[in-house]
Amino acid sequence: MLDARNIHHGYGAETVFESVSLSVTPGEVVAIIGPSGVGKSTLLRLLALFDSPNRGTIEYGDTDVWDVSEQRRLEFRRRIGMVFQEASLFDASVRRNAEYGLRVRQPWTDRLRHEVASLVGRTNGTGAEIEALETVGLGEKVEQDVSSLSGGEAQRVAFARALAYDPEILLLDEPTSDLDPRNTALIEDAVLEARDRDIGVVVATHDMHQAERIADRVAVFLENDIIEVGRTEDVFDDPDDERTRKFIDGELIY
Amino acid sequence: MPLELATVSPLFAEFPFEWNYIRSIVRVSLYVSLVAVALSTLFSLPIALLIGFKEFRGKTLLTSIINTGMGFPSVVVGLIVLFAVSGQGPLGSLDLVFTPEAMILSQFVLATPVITGVSLAAVSSVEQNVRDAAYAMGGTRFDVALVTIKEARYGIATALLAGFGRAISEVGSVLIVGGNIAGADGESYTRTLTTAIQLEARQGRFETAMILGAILVVLVLLVNAIVVRLGSGNGGYR
Amino acid sequence: MPIHRREMLAGIGGGATIGLAGCTSSSDGGDDDEPEISGETITLTTTTSTYDTGLIDELNAPFEDRYGVTVDTVSQGTGAALETGRSGDSDVVMVHARSLEDEFIEDGYGVNRRDVMFNDFVVVGTSDDPAGITGGNDVEAALTTIAEKGATFVSRGDDSGTHAKELELWDAAGVGEFGEWYREAGQGMSEVIMQVGQTGDYTLADRGSFLSMQSEIDLDIHVEGPIEGGPELLANPYGIVAVNPAVHDGVEYDLSMAYIGYLTGPEGREIIEEYTLEGEQLFFPEAISEEPNFQQYVPEDWAPSEADD
Repeated sequence: MLDARNIHHGYGAETVFESVSLSVTPGEVVAIIGPSGVGKSTLLRLLALFDSPNRGTIEYGDTDVWDVSEQRRLEFRRRIGMVFQEASLFDASVRRNAEYGLRVRQPWTDRLRHEVASLVGRTNGTGAEIEALETVGLGEKVEQDVSSLSGGEAQRVAFARALAYDPEILLLDEPTSDLDPRNTALIEDAVLEARDRDIGVVVATHDMHQAERIADRVAVFLENDIIEVGRTEDVFDDPDDERTRKFIDGELIY
Repeated sequence: MPLELATVSPLFAEFPFEWNYIRSIVRVSLYVSLVAVALSTLFSLPIALLIGFKEFRGKTLLTSIINTGMGFPSVVVGLIVLFAVSGQGPLGSLDLVFTPEAMILSQFVLATPVITGVSLAAVSSVEQNVRDAAYAMGGTRFDVALVTIKEARYGIATALLAGFGRAISEVGSVLIVGGNIAGADGESYTRTLTTAIQLEARQGRFETAMILGAILVVLVLLVNAIVVRLGSGNGGYR
Repeated sequence: MPIHRREMLAGIGGGATIGLAGCTSSSDGGDDDEPEISGETITLTTTTSTYDTGLIDELNAPFEDRYGVTVDTVSQGTGAALETGRSGDSDVVMVHARSLEDEFIEDGYGVNRRDVMFNDFVVVGTSDDPAGITGGNDVEAALTTIAEKGATFVSRGDDSGTHAKELELWDAAGVGEFGEWYREAGQGMSEVIMQVGQTGDYTLADRGSFLSMQSEIDLDIHVEGPIEGGPELLANPYGIVAVNPAVHDGVEYDLSMAYIGYLTGPEGREIIEEYTLEGEQLFFPEAISEEPNFQQYVPEDWAPSEADD
């Protein structure tokens, strides 16, 4: 559904990756593994349509997303959800965060009415954000301010925020690297639940065990390139590339 | 010291329109400063957002020009605005000399660097990853700007307060472009609290000047309190 | 058309402020019968010495009621008042420096000058009179004594009519050297009188300003002007000039002439005559006279032969 074909990206003279191809289809989890700083985040930002790649194409369905109008591209963007390594929440209540994606999709009149109503008192949400918060086990904390949350809870709110508007694609950039095991498990469960709802998930992680636990396919990102893509058990048990084997065995230190 | 408080009552007897006079002055002051600050905000916020998140050559220079503008002497602004709106100036055909609108113009010029500068500092402190999150959730560039303003709301409120304080308490430019006019019936036309204080003090009516001064301080405190109150109520961002 | 724009802007202003404490008030000054002209405005620039006495408000109120014309009064120094007229930003100018008024007319910016009223200048100072100048009403001698004794003299120093007169007097007294005793305030008449009351010894003031402030300060008149038998040198005549509509087509010439007519007519005369502060008359009208006084219309040194050039 979302396909990156031979994309090259860099800033000025510095190349981040040479020629990367990656695709994700509904109902699968693709893990991008590799050491920190190889460009996994840059790749996810390109998939989230923040920037256009220097070369190569990104297609949604069969459409080149950088070959259409800004308005059309916005429609594609709105089918994608994203969670960052940091929770990056807005300074507001849990509800306001979780419903944000839903609000920006509403017509201006509704948004304005909602803003005015929230000045007077609390407003009722659409229900979808509550459902998303319940998925990450935060149904109880809807009205709390995000400043009162722990780091793990904040990251789960960020996950619910991306889930609430029911995206087709979910991009997760090291979503659990700062979290304790319990919160990591909660997020991983939520990822699997999203997959079961036919969402295509791309998760960038440096944690190979996480990839093994949740991914259907694994892409190995080493030395400015994706050197190997395959079914999770194939890549872990019998890698094609010698560098993959060394990386998985921990011999390759970057 | 011939200016004892005992002279207050005969002085009021001399001015049957005293309270009408003071009320109309307060009204003119508030009208001019609030409109100037409102217009300046509409002008300054987009600029602050633009400068804050665009990288371009001369950004540092532009920022320091804005910061310098915060301390720009108000009488000089008054002179420049007077030249602009005077019969011979580029805006002469609008016939704005000695009108409240000319004072709004000069206070706009005075408040804009303050509001832009302080807002710029506030929006620049909003973290890029929060803006990214708004964009990634399907926000347009305008939505991202809105989120930035909301995240920076305390800083922006401070900017508005600073701009309002600068506008309502300055005397130099409004005196020059407004002319400190009050009608024969004591109804202020372009007389503000500050220019009235100046006039009353010059005529030795220190009691009236003190009353006006107290009103000015109370007004500024009141506006501060209202803005702080709105801010701490989390500004409808709940 | 500028008036219409101004009206419109004023309308916007009014609308925006209606919400404020119900303190909107209109000019409901008993105008039961509609005036012929209504809602128009003229701008008068005048000196602080006339404005601060309160006479202008007293004169303007009946005029505004009768004609429905608002007079926006801006009080400046004589120099600034004329300069504002020169740039067409005021419609009519009332000042008290004949030489500057003449220049204004000769340069073509003003037309139809009329004498309005006069009062006089007085030398005022602290009641202890440190230089001992009281008595005799000889202003030249008094100024010479102040200079010799080095008593503090506060000058307006602001290019106003009073300042011009003061410099003329020093000249007449033959004092050309000013020491530390001479201070230029650069402020209005009232501020200078306040300053003398607090830190100085003497100043030259117009009688109107001095009388209007007498209750606020502890100063005496040491040299009287012509009104109280002093020298003619201290006379202080006020003139009014309309801004020339041929130079600035935006000025309200006809309304200005109506205002000048009112001020120099019987009604204006009566108000000026009856205006008192602390029981004393401040100004003496001189516009109406059975004797012709052609001098008031033209520059003082003007002669018909010049017109033939």
